Amino acid sequence: MGFSDYMLSDSCRQSAGSELRFDGGQAAPVAVCNPGRLSVAVADGAQARLVLSHGAGCCSTVDVAVGDGASLSIVELFVGGRSTMRIAQGAASRVALTSVVAGDGSAEYRTALDGAQAECDLGCVFLAGDDEHAQVKIRVEHNVADCRSASTVKGVAAGRGEGRFEGMVYVAPDAQRTDARQTSRNLTLGDEARITTLPQLEIYADDVKCSHGATVGQMDSDAVLYMRQRGLSEDAARRLQIEGFVADVVMRCAVEEAGEALLAELNAKLERL
Amino acid sequence: MLSVKNLHASVGDKEILRGIDLEVRAGEVHAIMGPNGSGKSTFASVLAGNEKFTVTEGEVSFLGRNLLEMPIEDRAREGLFLGFQYPVEIPGVTMANFMKMAVAEQRKYRGEEPLTAAEFLRMMREKCAVVELDPKMTSRAVNEGFSGGEKKKNEIFQMAMLAPKLSILDETDSGLDIDALRIVATGVTKLKTADNATVVITHYQRLLDYIVPDYVHVLYKGRIIHSGDKSLALKLEREGYDWLINDYKE
Ligand SMILES: Nc1ncnc2c1ncn2[C@@H]1O[C@H](COP(=O)(O)OP(=O)(O)OP(=O)(O)O)[C@@H](O)[C@H]1O
Ligand SMILES: [Mg+2]
Repeated sequence: MGFSDYMLSDSCRQSAGSELRFDGGQAAPVAVCNPGRLSVAVADGAQARLVLSHGAGCCSTVDVAVGDGASLSIVELFVGGRSTMRIAQGAASRVALTSVVAGDGSAEYRTALDGAQAECDLGCVFLAGDDEHAQVKIRVEHNVADCRSASTVKGVAAGRGEGRFEGMVYVAPDAQRTDARQTSRNLTLGDEARITTLPQLEIYADDVKCSHGATVGQMDSDAVLYMRQRGLSEDAARRLQIEGFVADVVMRCAVEEAGEALLAELNAKLERL
Repeated sequence: MLSVKNLHASVGDKEILRGIDLEVRAGEVHAIMGPNGSGKSTFASVLAGNEKFTVTEGEVSFLGRNLLEMPIEDRAREGLFLGFQYPVEIPGVTMANFMKMAVAEQRKYRGEEPLTAAEFLRMMREKCAVVELDPKMTSRAVNEGFSGGEKKKNEIFQMAMLAPKLSILDETDSGLDIDALRIVATGVTKLKTADNATVVITHYQRLLDYIVPDYVHVLYKGRIIHSGDKSLALKLEREGYDWLINDYKE
């Protein structure tokens, strides 16, 4: 089942340009295709799950407010399109996001941790095929003390594709005991593929645990040899290695029901890289 | 099964294999010994098709086909297995998934029906038992975070899964504790049939107590300088290589 089938089969599908309010407990995930201007509110203590998909030419702005003690899980797929999502989190709220930019496309996240003990986990993958531009931008603001954030971004570029990651972790002067982690790991396939990664930290508090790391590497030829020695074709070995590279992000899909469909989209894209 | 004639191979300008001759027939076990750096792993890599090395002279036929013309994966699908001295880690790829693909590709090549999911799982459990590998290991990423011993057991597990005709085991005994050595070695002997053959590369006679070789060869400076039966390994264990190397004039 492809991602679009998942979107269509969902009874709670919303039209674009709307407002979504979640007041109750755990319900079925709500799916929105090409959201446009969308605002999402999760009431204090409520739980919600959201599945967004973006197509070529679509430009969206999504504003999300997550109340105290609330939790929101988001899965996003870009098959083209651009989107900026602004997330404001209340105290002890939790956001988990899995996002895949498959080809041309841009995903931007601006998360403000405004209440103590708020947590966010962002996992993003971008894949730039030949002549494509894929990018992910993340800004996480730790505005108060005792919050935790973790972003893992995996980028793959092939052919003459270009990928870009910009990450910023901001820690306000009073945001003591912040725990903020950001990793950007990238794989370029071939000499003409390019990935730029710009992880940044801006820290004004002194009692913090912050880490960031960025790597850009190439296909591990020893691993390809190893797999071929077991009978896999060179193409299959390469694909399996890329799948493995992004697996930790997509296997932990924030909305479990959408996991398989997301993986199918990702694999379809990898076939074409 | 395998016939190697006057095989020469180099890396860049450096010649590493300098004329190897070796005949391996079905049902046989050969041991290759030799000092560090003599070219044992290079020989195994060249047979497997590692493109890092260039064959400059010689012929290799495997089951009647010209091995040197075949791509790496076809050598494997024809039944050649290399147990790596240093098994490679593949992050994010589970053992189960990796083996599922490898078994599927090999069966397809041989025109066999694909296994059902249930058949495959049963086979994995059975083959794990051959080397007393915890089946839970198969849901972990290939070799990632495996201990030295687990990596070597995992090589033999894969050998069991793929049921190759010719297995070349490059120092599969190195780094194993006494129990693991016994488990790995008995695993290999369980997989032994009259139709397949094994080449074990080793530094230690101890392995050969379990995997009893029909022939023992000494590789030195890229050539097999001496061959004998299993008693040669015992002699090497006692006396080292000096007597052979001194004997051997370039
Ligand atoms: N890629 C390479 N580039 C340059 N030299 C190489 C390369 N691979 C192997 N060699 C050299 O070839 C020689 C043989 O190496 P090889 O690994 O085959 O030895 P070995 O007999 O397996 O040794 P050991 O017992 O230590 O495993 C060594 O001198 C080694 O340094
Ligand atoms: Mg070696």
